[in-house]
Amino acid sequence: MTQPNRLDNGGRIDRSKHLTFEFNGRRYKGFSGDTLASALLANGVDVIGRSFKYSRPRGIVAAGAEEPNAVFQLGATEATQVPNVRATQQELFNGLVSQPTSGWPNLQFDFLGVFGSILGRMLPPGFYYKTFMFPQAAWETYEKYIRKAAGLGRSPRDPDVDTYDHLNQHTDVLIVGAGPAGLSAALSAARSGARVILADEQAEMGGALLDSRETLNGKPASNWVRDALKELSGYDNVLLLPRATVNGYHDHNFLTIHERRTDHLGDRAPANQSRQRLHRVRAKWVILATGAHERPLVYGNNDLPGCMLASAVSTYINRYAVAPGRRLVLMTTNDNAYRAAFDWQDAGREVVAIVDTRAYADGAWQDEANRRGIKLLKGHAVIDAQGKMRVTGAVVAGLNTDGTQLTGKGEVLNCDTLASSGGWSPAVHLSCHTGSRPVWDDDVIGFVPGKTVQKQLTAGAVTGCFSLADCLADGARIGAEAATNAGFNAEPAAAPSVRCRPETRPMALFCVPHYKPNSRAPKQFVDFQTDVTAAGIELATREGFESIEHVKRYTAMGFGTDQGKLGNINGMAVAAKSLNQSIPETGTTIFRPNYTPVTFGAIAGRHCNDLFEPKRYSAMHEWHVEHGALFEEVGQWKRPWYFPKPNESMQQALDRECLATRNSVGILDASTLGKIDIQGKDAREFIGRIYTNAWAKLAVGKCRYGLMCKEDGMVFDDGVTSCLAEDHFLMTTTTGGAAGVLEWLEFYHQTEWPELEVYMNTVTDHWATMTIAGPNARKLLSELTDDIDLDRDNFKFMDWRQGTVAGVPARVFRISFTGELSYEINVQANYGLHVWEKLFEHGAKYDLTPYGTETMHILRAEKGFIIAGQDTDGSVHPYDLGMSWAVKEDKPFSFIGKRGMKREDCVRDNRKQLVGLKTKDPSIVLPEGAQAVDNPNHPKPVPMLGHVTSSYYSANLGRSIAMGVIKNGHKRMGETVHYPLVDGRVVEAEICSTIFLDPKGERQNV
Amino acid sequence: MSEAINKAVLESTQIAIMEQLPETGVPARSPLAHQQQTASRTAPENPGVYLWESALKTHLALRGDANNADFANGVEAATGLALPEVLQSNHNNEWALSWIAPDEWLLTGPGDQALAMEMSLREQLGGHYAVINVGGGQTLVRLAGPRARSVLMKSCPYDVHDRNFPVGKVVNTVLGKSQATLRRVGDDEWELVVRRSFADYIWRWLVDASQEYRLSLEQPTQGASKNRAGRLQASPVEN
Repeated sequence: MTQPNRLDNGGRIDRSKHLTFEFNGRRYKGFSGDTLASALLANGVDVIGRSFKYSRPRGIVAAGAEEPNAVFQLGATEATQVPNVRATQQELFNGLVSQPTSGWPNLQFDFLGVFGSILGRMLPPGFYYKTFMFPQAAWETYEKYIRKAAGLGRSPRDPDVDTYDHLNQHTDVLIVGAGPAGLSAALSAARSGARVILADEQAEMGGALLDSRETLNGKPASNWVRDALKELSGYDNVLLLPRATVNGYHDHNFLTIHERRTDHLGDRAPANQSRQRLHRVRAKWVILATGAHERPLVYGNNDLPGCMLASAVSTYINRYAVAPGRRLVLMTTNDNAYRAAFDWQDAGREVVAIVDTRAYADGAWQDEANRRGIKLLKGHAVIDAQGKMRVTGAVVAGLNTDGTQLTGKGEVLNCDTLASSGGWSPAVHLSCHTGSRPVWDDDVIGFVPGKTVQKQLTAGAVTGCFSLADCLADGARIGAEAATNAGFNAEPAAAPSVRCRPETRPMALFCVPHYKPNSRAPKQFVDFQTDVTAAGIELATREGFESIEHVKRYTAMGFGTDQGKLGNINGMAVAAKSLNQSIPETGTTIFRPNYTPVTFGAIAGRHCNDLFEPKRYSAMHEWHVEHGALFEEVGQWKRPWYFPKPNESMQQALDRECLATRNSVGILDASTLGKIDIQGKDAREFIGRIYTNAWAKLAVGKCRYGLMCKEDGMVFDDGVTSCLAEDHFLMTTTTGGAAGVLEWLEFYHQTEWPELEVYMNTVTDHWATMTIAGPNARKLLSELTDDIDLDRDNFKFMDWRQGTVAGVPARVFRISFTGELSYEINVQANYGLHVWEKLFEHGAKYDLTPYGTETMHILRAEKGFIIAGQDTDGSVHPYDLGMSWAVKEDKPFSFIGKRGMKREDCVRDNRKQLVGLKTKDPSIVLPEGAQAVDNPNHPKPVPMLGHVTSSYYSANLGRSIAMGVIKNGHKRMGETVHYPLVDGRVVEAEICSTIFLDPKGERQNV
Repeated sequence: MSEAINKAVLESTQIAIMEQLPETGVPARSPLAHQQQTASRTAPENPGVYLWESALKTHLALRGDANNADFANGVEAATGLALPEVLQSNHNNEWALSWIAPDEWLLTGPGDQALAMEMSLREQLGGHYAVINVGGGQTLVRLAGPRARSVLMKSCPYDVHDRNFPVGKVVNTVLGKSQATLRRVGDDEWELVVRRSFADYIWRWLVDASQEYRLSLEQPTQGASKNRAGRLQASPVEN
């Protein structure tokens, strides 16, 4: 297997390391140091994809991030599939497997290729919008085939086998780009002692210096790069990040860097190493030294394989020792691109002609071309590329001085490679991310970064400064400035000497005219990835799209994964010309993050799988797991949901747990309930202002239930608060509301009542809480404590006592969420598991039954106890709940929500009120959320009365029970409402009290 | 312990003070005991990161006003430690006192001293203040080794560079998707205060983040302390 385009000498590849790789099912060879693109070019692979809309054959155009065509699917296995990889940025490794993402069913012959002209007519600009519009339903059908043919790659079907992570970085100076300006800036900043991060998207740092023909201090530029990097890597305060694309520039100098750590090593990352890393950087100052992208010229059939950027030709020759053809025609508007022809000739290949669009070009570069004997056609342009699967010729014609018209007849030059350069567009992308609009500069013939509000500096080609000497000096100066701004004493590093060759002024030319109008000329592509032509942009302007943002959206220009890095400026120029205005008048679209595509893995980092979300555990969690609990997520807590026995259905388990609790004794892990320790001489007053009910007289040793409202009078949390001592209270909250309630208390204390002497602290995790409930609860507890008097008259319902339970100091609260005789035992959490296990040792004879949240819900619903957040939803006040007993209207200071619940809307008739519901058929359990209506046969829309908030089957009652809100429900006791269900059934239910069991509360007062 | 309780304090206080530790023989189970049990005991060669739980310590939250001399002096009298400034900590052989918030500090120390220290504080402090025993609700995790800082960089957004985070500094920060109080206790050693319920998540996060640096779940030997609390049945790697 030979590599026909590989040069015998030169390049920065390691010829001793042979690599084998696969593309499109065929095996090829390359060298270490190759990119996938350079290796394909070395192997003479011309067609690497088919175009998006017209299915035209496409080849490699560029050598960097701006490549629009060579976007591949990588991966040797299903789990390692990566779509959207630019071959120009993918380093070659042994065993690399790649596929074209376009060209269905195959590259050489494809469906769209044959029927392309028909489809092309069916896919005019604005095609997406037009298919969206009509007929709407057809889009789903179009989409499937369009996507397949268009080639956007595919996601893997198997889980990713690699890991990805994040690293948070902080730095004084972040320098983006390690070309001449970036390296110089880094030297200046690093020597000052500032913390510096230098990030570059390429494997090797040095940027344009790596393929430069110029010398620094009389030596090859790469020597200077080597020395600079050696110095920088010796500093503790410098972090060099190669293979790291700064892909997003966000507010407050927060930048994200996508580092590809192992993508160059193989299909999978080595063990214990993350494949890619997202650096999240806070930089005091940022230097954008992002360089510039060469702009191709737009001409007929400019998308044929063999049409390339002039600078890419130089890069492939000098860096990779690949001459991507035999016979070159170069078209240029500037002197800089001449080096492509010189490199080509030095590589021993034939330069057919340099076609310079400038009649006035007459300087050192033209002299050298003449000296080299290269045919130089000044005042000419290539108007059309010839060939089917690869360039075979270039049609060249004379061009008038302002580049608007052709002069004379065309001539065909035989060639297989057609390089073009329309000048350089500064890579302003990152500067745009923060909202700064780039500004047109006539001298640069391009947009340069606009005014910024960030602590951002720019250096080198991104500013439109294209000469190497200027870039080096600019970088050194800006590097010192950034470090100085960050508080260091910095001096600009001395710039190396460069022998400069003067350049003749470039010409502003974007789209080469044709004999025919653009609409009839051979297709002149502006955006290769989305197949947007000059004619398409003109059509858009004719159809009335005058704003460049509209033109972009109508034609899809710049919508590809390359964000139009190559084509956007040309497209704007075409639009401007068509609209008969200047480019600055036309304006530009701007770029968003990310600069190049980022894998989802890098975005997710380690926030995936088991670490996706914190799981909170109580001190008894291990016991629950061992005893077969199924878990419910409540907030981030994993709470036991129910404890099924083998072969038990969920309902059977719930029935068993419910009956055991009501008939003997059950136990619940209630540790997750929020617990807030409140201390201070004003604690009581503070609590009285937070809750709706009265707290002034709650004695030490007593507990009380309370409702909390927001200012609007709507219930948002509830719980029992106990008076531990005169200035000391323990508040409990719902599990999910714990953090919110503590913030609420702090908020009111800090902003409204700072004069109250009170401190609140969470003790949720400090206490393990176990609730034993049921007629045998007292008997069980008495076996484990000898210092608490459990006598019914000495330790009453809503009392708490301190003592020892199972040898552990405990606070025991006689409160009940089940309506049973019930004790909540609180011990320091490190002893929770011990006490829990002791309870089971002694509880066996009482059939002590663990129950989870579901049984807890059923038992509390049997008693009509609400759950804040389930039976309330932010639109329910205490009176709606029938809980006027929990509102103390005449407290001296008022309380939060008092005024809110007096608003006109809150006191009107016909509010939704919480009621109990009994279905006529006791076996039917209403679905929660079902809507009540009075008359299911009412013509639509049927007036709705309110929804079911809680609904269960109660084994204790042998029937279903439910709670729900019904308009005016409190006055409709005994009436029947109807619940039409999704399945067509209509369930009848009777409105009743929410207390289904033991209405007098006798069971808990025993 | 009961004789240590100053009767005068108990009688005058309007706060419920409670001995929360059992007398004897009752096993304590720290928030990370299950992880310590299941962890592999074969330490890698030349570990880059050490991770262990410093379990069953006393944790007292102190609330008060640093400008109240009765509070600030009282804390110093009871603990021997001056109230640390913002984002700072002070420590002696037994106790560490960390700034947590403008009106909050965290005192950590020997596990059997919670009540004695609370009593001592209440004896010394004056004015509006609060002491809250939170030892069951949080634990200490130690992270050490040459790559400990890298693990922290993966885990929290705060700048842990030497220039910004010298030894002795304390911050409350995000850790993974949870949070921790982070104190730098040595050049290569950090202490994290984590909540009990989040401890397992944070432990697993740190183990995962340490994967590439050769993680040892043993305390490095040179830093070992013999200060084992007598009455507590500590997990095997507790210092």
